[in-house]
Amino acid sequence: MNEDYLWDKSGEPDPEIQQLEQILGTLGYQPKPLDLSDEIQPRSRNRYLPLMAIAATLLIALIAGALWLRVRNKTSPQLDRAKVESPKPQQASPNIEDKKPNEIVAVATDKGSRYVQPKPKEVRHPRTPQVSKMTTVERQEALEAKEQLMTALRLTSEKLNLAHRKAQGTSPNQIRNQHKVG
Amino acid sequence: MKLLFHTISRTALIWAVLVVMTTITTYAQDPRLRLAHLDYLATKASETVDVNIDERLIQLAAKVFNDKDDDEAQIKKLVIGLKGIYVKSFEFENENDYSSADVDSIRSQLREPAWSRLLNVTSKREGIVEVYVALNGAEVVGLAVLSAEPKELTVVNIIGPVDLEKLAKLEGNLGIPDLGIHSNKHKTKNEQ
Repeated sequence: MNEDYLWDKSGEPDPEIQQLEQILGTLGYQPKPLDLSDEIQPRSRNRYLPLMAIAATLLIALIAGALWLRVRNKTSPQLDRAKVESPKPQQASPNIEDKKPNEIVAVATDKGSRYVQPKPKEVRHPRTPQVSKMTTVERQEALEAKEQLMTALRLTSEKLNLAHRKAQGTSPNQIRNQHKVG
Repeated sequence: MKLLFHTISRTALIWAVLVVMTTITTYAQDPRLRLAHLDYLATKASETVDVNIDERLIQLAAKVFNDKDDDEAQIKKLVIGLKGIYVKSFEFENENDYSSADVDSIRSQLREPAWSRLLNVTSKREGIVEVYVALNGAEVVGLAVLSAEPKELTVVNIIGPVDLEKLAKLEGNLGIPDLGIHSNKHKTKNEQ
């Protein structure tokens, strides 16, 4: 057998070698452009990633903002007003301690509820231009807000005064009673 | 191109983290106290005061103050810059109708560095009264008063630039007594 054929394909070929070449030749390297389908192209995988990241950012910002607002407003329920709930002694059941909390709520809210101040009377002050522009509903709301404001300031000053008096070492009872709310 | 995608993705992620952190930080520095958990005490209380006035209501109320009345003008000046006033006060028939956990839940929110305790009076018989201020630099941005007496629990939370000096000047106006707090800052006394 001429081994030159195996080396540089010169000389007489061996039929067995030729047969093997024919069989294995189909598996040899055949130059052609790489054909990648759209599904496996890296570009298509990353195309929407920045958009999704931006969308996720906006979503997180919205959720965070909503949570913040919710927590912020959680302690201020829809009823933005001062209220005193004070059941009258005779209205409360003698064995009120035996009642369930829900029953006590009913006593406190249905029968005994009252506002800190009587309903604000219409004050006949000379109207400022701001007030004259307000509607009746707005003015009523403003007057109620003012009453709540005064209630809060009274209570705050009462407590501050109480603290001051206690720090001074005097009995605060007289002052407390003078400014007792309700 | 791939580098650009990575850059945009990382920027978006950083922004998301910043937004979340800013939200958390803002929430942590908010001088508003969480008081809603005290609402259950209303069922036990014989008298409840619940004041929730946000900035809008304060501005609305300011419109009906009479500027020609000196007393009301002073009050208006005091409240005009505030962002909220929140008060919860419960009076009980019996002692120990509220727990120390209720007081601690408020006190735990009044921690440094956001809050500084201005005044603390403790009495075994009459309970405690604590006054706190929230400071932003030298400016007062919040006031909190915690009063826990045997039969009464009161929490006051004022948000905004509280002018303590103006507040003190309200003595005798509309039933508001002399506060005297401007001369007793940082004073602490324990009564036993």
